[in-house]
Amino acid sequence: MTTLHSHGAISTPSRFGVLAIGLALLITTGAKADASDIPRTAEGRPDFSGIWQTLSAADSGLEPHGARKDAPPAPGIVTGGLIPYQDWALEKRNQNFAQRASADPALQCFTPGTPRGIYYPEPFQILQRPTDLTLLFQHSYRARTIHTNGSVHPEGGIGFWFGDSRASWEGDTLVVDVVDFNDQTWLDSAGNFHGNNLHVVERWSFIDENTLQYEATLEDPDVYTRPWDISVILHRHREPGFQLIEHTCYTLEYDDYYPYPSQESQ
Amino acid sequence: MNARIHRTEFAWAIGLLLITPTQLWAQNSWREPTVYRVAEADWNGAVLANGQPDVQGHWSNTVGNHNNMVDPQGNFPYDDNNEPQAPRPNRENRAPSRLVAPADGEFPFQPWARALQQEFAAHLFNAFEPQYVEPLARCAPGGPTKSLMWHGFEIRQDANHVLFLFDSGTRVIHLDDKPVLHGNISLWNGDSRGHWEGNTLVVTVANHNAKSRFGRTGEFVSENATLEERFIFESSGNRFLYQGTYTDPTVLTAPITFEIPVRRITAESELDGWNNITFPVNFADSGRAPEIEAYERTCAENNANHGAESAVAAH
Repeated sequence: MTTLHSHGAISTPSRFGVLAIGLALLITTGAKADASDIPRTAEGRPDFSGIWQTLSAADSGLEPHGARKDAPPAPGIVTGGLIPYQDWALEKRNQNFAQRASADPALQCFTPGTPRGIYYPEPFQILQRPTDLTLLFQHSYRARTIHTNGSVHPEGGIGFWFGDSRASWEGDTLVVDVVDFNDQTWLDSAGNFHGNNLHVVERWSFIDENTLQYEATLEDPDVYTRPWDISVILHRHREPGFQLIEHTCYTLEYDDYYPYPSQESQ
Repeated sequence: MNARIHRTEFAWAIGLLLITPTQLWAQNSWREPTVYRVAEADWNGAVLANGQPDVQGHWSNTVGNHNNMVDPQGNFPYDDNNEPQAPRPNRENRAPSRLVAPADGEFPFQPWARALQQEFAAHLFNAFEPQYVEPLARCAPGGPTKSLMWHGFEIRQDANHVLFLFDSGTRVIHLDDKPVLHGNISLWNGDSRGHWEGNTLVVTVANHNAKSRFGRTGEFVSENATLEERFIFESSGNRFLYQGTYTDPTVLTAPITFEIPVRRITAESELDGWNNITFPVNFADSGRAPEIEAYERTCAENNANHGAESAVAAH
């Protein structure tokens, strides 16, 4: 792990200055881990296996926002602050926001999709093999596959909820190209959205053995005026015995009908 | 080999959730009338880096779907118009009951439970009350046993987990020493702990919510059920035999044991429109051997009103 102490002895006043700058960088962008200090697979790749979750409030709004009845205040995770919507799209986002209490697809327990699943406020687990990474999300208990087997996107296009993910390694960074989306997922609970021509490029890397830096560039010429970036830190769940718990929230509306009526009377 | 996927084909794939049992049976061209036996033994097949059997890949049961538990290649007790129909003749030519215990292949229900099972079966095609809608038709997970005899599925592994990806639901079998979940938590697929004994994955399942039905014929157990499973894999990597024993004095008068024969699905397998919904991997290197991968497994997102409010609202 990169530490501030590795920079060597410095005078007291400037040491504080460097510390402040270093801490700011660590907090805002994360510092990359030393290559020797991260878990690795038998093939020598970074091993992302584990259960991860953000501490950020990104899902309540990707953009900076003050407190509201359904969300805490948060600084946002969009580089530069705001999403560069086209005019019509900003109007639609605002309509979504106004209707969020009923229109957010996640409230129907539909999968949050990509990238929202990564910073949704529930844990997700990564099972890593040489040929792929399986991301199992506790919310809706759906799995996304990131293929690392040298394959490319299927031809013809299809509207996947997670998109289609094909990845390659740039040193210790996993770079994931995601296309073939439908337009049914939101990016957060504040109504931010995308179209089915969304293209996401993710970059996954370790800050230290228990912390991941997740960065993504989102591009959709139908909705935004230019590509834009998000950055969020993910923490490893280290509680003893911690596991995902099947959360098929889409069954809650009919759970009471089963296994049979009047069970208590038997 | 390049995959060519079109939205219409994906709609067709999702449409498999909607077709009727009669339509399903007509497509089951390679289903087997006998149960392929795999004996417990040492494992001599492929292994993971930690020495555990490598059983990853796409799988599909060889008998049929969840239409009828005691005569799985026979008729549903009611036709598509909800009229009672007699069993098909020549029972001896079809696969046996899904149950190998009790020996007669019948569910040893307590009388009240038998009545509820029959009530459910009688209303499957006339679901004017919400409790008559088969939960799987609403995209609920099928439960640990039924999930193996519906659509095909995929197994993935790492050192501490065996992951089952079903078209409706996901299941994780934990192989480490993780403590079990508290009894306050109940789940559609339960909570599973397992270990390997030679070629056999031995699993204990707890935390059942008991809301799924084994078959469309309505068989069920209660939240008090215990389940012991044995997944017996052939070292060839091509077959496995599932055995699952439920003990539940709340509903049953004796334990029941399911057997489900399963075979591997590969790029060479004939697709019958019912087992794994897969497509060829699109490798940039055209010289690589063909492989298959599955479509994204979502259900509630694409299921509209099937099996849910529409049937009930019609009344």
